[in-house]
Amino acid sequence: MLQVENLVAGYPSGGRVLKGATFDVAKGEVVALLGRNGMGKTTLMRALAGQLATQGGSFRLDGRELGNCPSYVIANEGIGYVPQGREIFKDFTVEENLLMGVLGKPRLPNRLPPDIYDFFPVLGERRRQKAGTMSGGQQQQLAIMRCLVGQPKLLLLDEPSEGIQPSIVDEIGRTLQAIARSTGLTILVVEQNLDFVETLAGRALFMENGVIADRADRIGQLRERPELVHRYLSI
Amino acid sequence: MQATIALLLDTANFTLALLLVTLGLVVIFGLMNVINMAHGEFFLIGAYVVVAVSGATGSFWLGLLLAPVVLALVGLLVEWLIIRHIYHRFIDTILATWGLSLVIKQGVVVLFGPGAQSVPNPLPTAVDVFGVQYPAYRLFIMALAAALALATYYLFFRTKLGLQIRGVIANRAMAASLGINTRRMDRATFAVGSALAGFAGAVMAPIMSVDPQMGVGFLIPSFLSVLVGGVNSLVGALIGSGVIGGATTIFSAGISQADAQILVFLLAMIIIRFLPNGIIGGRK
Amino acid sequence: MTRSARLGLSLTVLAWAGLGLAPLVLDDWNIGLLTQYVTYGIFALSLGLIWGQAGILCFGQAIFFGIGAYSMALVTLGKLPWLGDSQWTGLALAVLLPMMVAALLGWIMFQGRALSGAHLAIVTLCAAVVCEIAARRWEFIGGFNGLFNVPPLSAPNGDPLSTNATYFFVGIAALLTYLLSLWIGRSPLGTVLAGIRNDERRTLHFGYDVRLHKIFVFTVSGAMAGFAGGLFTTQFGFVSPPLVGFALSTEVLIWVAVGGRSVLMGAFLGALAVRATENAMSASLDQYWLIALGALFILVVVVLPQGLFGKLLALAPPRRLGRGGTR
Repeated sequence: MLQVENLVAGYPSGGRVLKGATFDVAKGEVVALLGRNGMGKTTLMRALAGQLATQGGSFRLDGRELGNCPSYVIANEGIGYVPQGREIFKDFTVEENLLMGVLGKPRLPNRLPPDIYDFFPVLGERRRQKAGTMSGGQQQQLAIMRCLVGQPKLLLLDEPSEGIQPSIVDEIGRTLQAIARSTGLTILVVEQNLDFVETLAGRALFMENGVIADRADRIGQLRERPELVHRYLSI
Repeated sequence: MQATIALLLDTANFTLALLLVTLGLVVIFGLMNVINMAHGEFFLIGAYVVVAVSGATGSFWLGLLLAPVVLALVGLLVEWLIIRHIYHRFIDTILATWGLSLVIKQGVVVLFGPGAQSVPNPLPTAVDVFGVQYPAYRLFIMALAAALALATYYLFFRTKLGLQIRGVIANRAMAASLGINTRRMDRATFAVGSALAGFAGAVMAPIMSVDPQMGVGFLIPSFLSVLVGGVNSLVGALIGSGVIGGATTIFSAGISQADAQILVFLLAMIIIRFLPNGIIGGRK
Repeated sequence: MTRSARLGLSLTVLAWAGLGLAPLVLDDWNIGLLTQYVTYGIFALSLGLIWGQAGILCFGQAIFFGIGAYSMALVTLGKLPWLGDSQWTGLALAVLLPMMVAALLGWIMFQGRALSGAHLAIVTLCAAVVCEIAARRWEFIGGFNGLFNVPPLSAPNGDPLSTNATYFFVGIAALLTYLLSLWIGRSPLGTVLAGIRNDERRTLHFGYDVRLHKIFVFTVSGAMAGFAGGLFTTQFGFVSPPLVGFALSTEVLIWVAVGGRSVLMGAFLGALAVRATENAMSASLDQYWLIALGALFILVVVVLPQGLFGKLLALAPPRRLGRGGTR
């Protein structure tokens, strides 16, 4: 479904961070992208979301070339992006944040589906509250739902567990897994928390120095081959 | 007592017209991070549309109706010709729109001459307001400006389009990643902001001296309103216009208009000195 | 030194040499005009210094120019009897008074959570408008009509200087102003200013007193603009409120932007080029000249942000004046 070929991206001034990443993600897969800080994971995510111009290579979603498309086109083609740091609209209510997820999609009705709060009930309780007043975990749940309400084919998740209390990390992991299983949603997730990765992902890619350096085709290999984890994550 | 009522009415009158111009500035700045130095000239064009149309057809009201339409088109054209090439180069947008204001001002001089034009008052009657004989047309301006300002606030704070625009203002990249066509929002906002200025110019034409310098005369107080109220806030625009419009009218009642302008500027400088982010920003 | 840097240096020297030799080929009338342009060039340098070097975009530069012009006029017309009426005193006041006003304005604007970018542009723009209004209202300085019959530059014996002598006096003043600006730009101080221009917050976090640097350079720039204003008055013989105002403030911005904001010599030559073109074209284009100027300005800003002369030299990175510490 997603085919990335030799993708190059980096600073607007021309400095390269991503130096030719190549990989595929099949429909319905949950793939984890692992690697130490500064290896290009977030740059890759931002390039796929259209927030960084690509400097070379290409990526296609369902066969359609999306390299160098503006981000709103990419979003409407079906790539949903939950960035690192969540980037919710702090001064908007929870409900308004969720609305933002559908308003930019001409093919969706411009109101929220009735079952929107079933996945993370806390969002329903706080729907009229300013999003900036919620805890980090609740904000992360909001950012994920804001993206999912736009019905993406592929979800890009950047560090969803960062700075969040463990019980909520578990809840997010289980909920995402349930959604992925029931709807066939494809997910590419950047994550440091290996427990979370093992809950959610089916396989893993390892990034080093801006390229995909290695892979674990079953998530169980993270335990079976500790040298992989040691080599690429220094744990 | 009667003088006080008349003064209050004058204050409300000027403040509301100022608010229309300031709102346009604020939405354009908030959304696109563009300081439109030609905004005063959009006001100017609005007034001259009325001059031209009422001169050609004899109907003031047709001019009033056409002015915002013309300015919306001018706004779209300017956005397409100039702004979209440089909207990420902040200082250059100031300079380029500045050049544009020179071109428009001189263009008006070429077309209409440097002298003042007069637009006949379309409602030359007076109305009794709490014992004060007050010009009907000024009351009309107030009602219209208030309605338009309310409509603008409604658009921004109560509609889904307004929610999207505020989303783009808050976080452009994220809004785009949710599928919102930010460039279309820019164009729409620039057109709406320009139309507001043009409408203000048109509606003020019968009670001002319509000459090529009137745009600058209105731009300065509306800049001060933006600074005093807070750059990035529609509520700030309201407060700023109230402070600047109120101070200008009240000072002008006691002393000459020129001295009043100097005093208002000093007042604004003091406020900015102590609240660099404006009255709204200062509280946060 | 790279080839482009050598080219830049040669062109700069060539430009000054050309200005020095101009009296050989131009008649008195044209030398008189050139003297005016060079005076405007000094004015442009004052803006080039703060804008190009420190990134301070001032929309009210004429405030200082105008105060300088008025100072010169007031002294030489004997309106300030306790100062005498010597032109040297006038010139000194034309430097000192704008300098103090600039220091005060700089202190207000850069104090604490400093104004920058848009705020600064708007505040200085409004200040220029208000100064013009105030000048019109103040009868002591001539009110709406201004002051007339300001004497031209004179030799110590009281005779007016010849056209060529005036030209050389102004030209040498311009060269000295240029060298001073250049020296500031290339000194360690200039490096800090360039740091402020590129990233003010980062420069602050490196431990530099950004506020003090900005007030300092703003003050120096005000003094230069006032100096230009003082020289201007002796050539035109009168001062009037528009000299402190808004229109002239924007003209100087146009000269600097068209010439090249980041290169001091570009700013200087920008003033000469625009004024000379205006002189040549305004007769034939008449009232369309301002439209053409505005359009040219927009075009330069959108297409050639480095200006006409800056772009020429920007073809190779180490620009002629950027070899030192400034970049």
